[in-house]
Amino acid sequence: MASKVSLKAKGKTNKGSKGSKERSTVQCLKEWSTWTMKKAKVITHYGFIPLVIIMGMNSEPKPHLSQLLSPV
Amino acid sequence: MATIVPPSPATGINNTAQDKIVEKVDYLNLPCPIPYEEIHREALMSLKPELFEGLRFDFTKGLNQKFSLSHSVMMGPTEIPSQSPETIKIPTAQYEFGANFLDPKAMLIGRVMTDGRLNARVKCDLTENLTLKANAQLTNEPHMSHGMVNFDYKGNDYRTQFQLGNGALFGATYIQSVTPHFSLGGEVFWAGQHRKSGVGYAARYNTDKMVATGQVATTGVVALSYVQKVAEKVSLATDFMYNYLTKDVTASFGYDYILRQCRLRGKIDSNGTVAALLEERLNMGLNFILSAEIDHMKKDYKFGFGLTVGE
Repeated sequence: MASKVSLKAKGKTNKGSKGSKERSTVQCLKEWSTWTMKKAKVITHYGFIPLVIIMGMNSEPKPHLSQLLSPV
Repeated sequence: MATIVPPSPATGINNTAQDKIVEKVDYLNLPCPIPYEEIHREALMSLKPELFEGLRFDFTKGLNQKFSLSHSVMMGPTEIPSQSPETIKIPTAQYEFGANFLDPKAMLIGRVMTDGRLNARVKCDLTENLTLKANAQLTNEPHMSHGMVNFDYKGNDYRTQFQLGNGALFGATYIQSVTPHFSLGGEVFWAGQHRKSGVGYAARYNTDKMVATGQVATTGVVALSYVQKVAEKVSLATDFMYNYLTKDVTASFGYDYILRQCRLRGKIDSNGTVAALLEERLNMGLNFILSAEIDHMKKDYKFGFGLTVGE
């Protein structure tokens, strides 16, 4: 988070002099946000159902593991 | 002994006279309206039942008060979009595993299919009046996944909602109770990816016996619906949808019988479609479902049967 803030500040101070640097800041931000969205999508895709199961198995009254797997 | 004095006949008559006079409306104390996206709720329940084709078997197993797993098997022909006017169907079979966690404060529902498609819904009460809802359909194919996050705020007699979706989709809705029976609402949305934006308005009038709603939007949709509860177990609904940009008109009429052991819903359409859905309760936790949809214009006949086990 801190590095993001400092990059933004640098971009703002050099606004007049170097337009290319500002463009690369915005591009950096876009690339980072796209990267986080992609990772978040993969994490949600694989982790959502296990998350629900873990939350359910830890709720009261605690069900047994055999109840999870048996078809009865 | 007689501590309770029976009301004298004079006051009795006065009370009934007062009941007949219209109660003064307390405009500062109106009821909370229903959410904007559910404004057509009663009409949709009767006129858009969950019709399906083929076999459907659902098994819900509760492990806990709050936690349950569901297994679902569906086998049948699935329509694929085709350029020619005739419908092309491919037989498919799929298994869907689901996990539900329901808490007074949070609700998480996840469904995953054999081809890797995940359907996730989360609803969380952040504070007493603010609710966060998230909805995602994730697939393995690139660029085919969708996600949407809603923030709902519920006031005394109004509700607002702010939506964020992927593909730069922003939306906001607001609905306000104007009288105890009448509510008005509006919505605004902006879709960055498709370069579309729109504004819409909706109105809803409901009493104990009937609900009338109307909705207009700049996307071209004009939708009117009317639902009347004819008897305790029977309600009739009618719906009129008109798109003034594509000049598409559809009118439909449906009924909904809620009986002790079964629920029967049927509808007839101006597109030449007749459909019905029967849900019969055979036993505690065992439901038998029959679905039929006959499209006379396209000559497409769909019949389905299924069994639902568990709550």
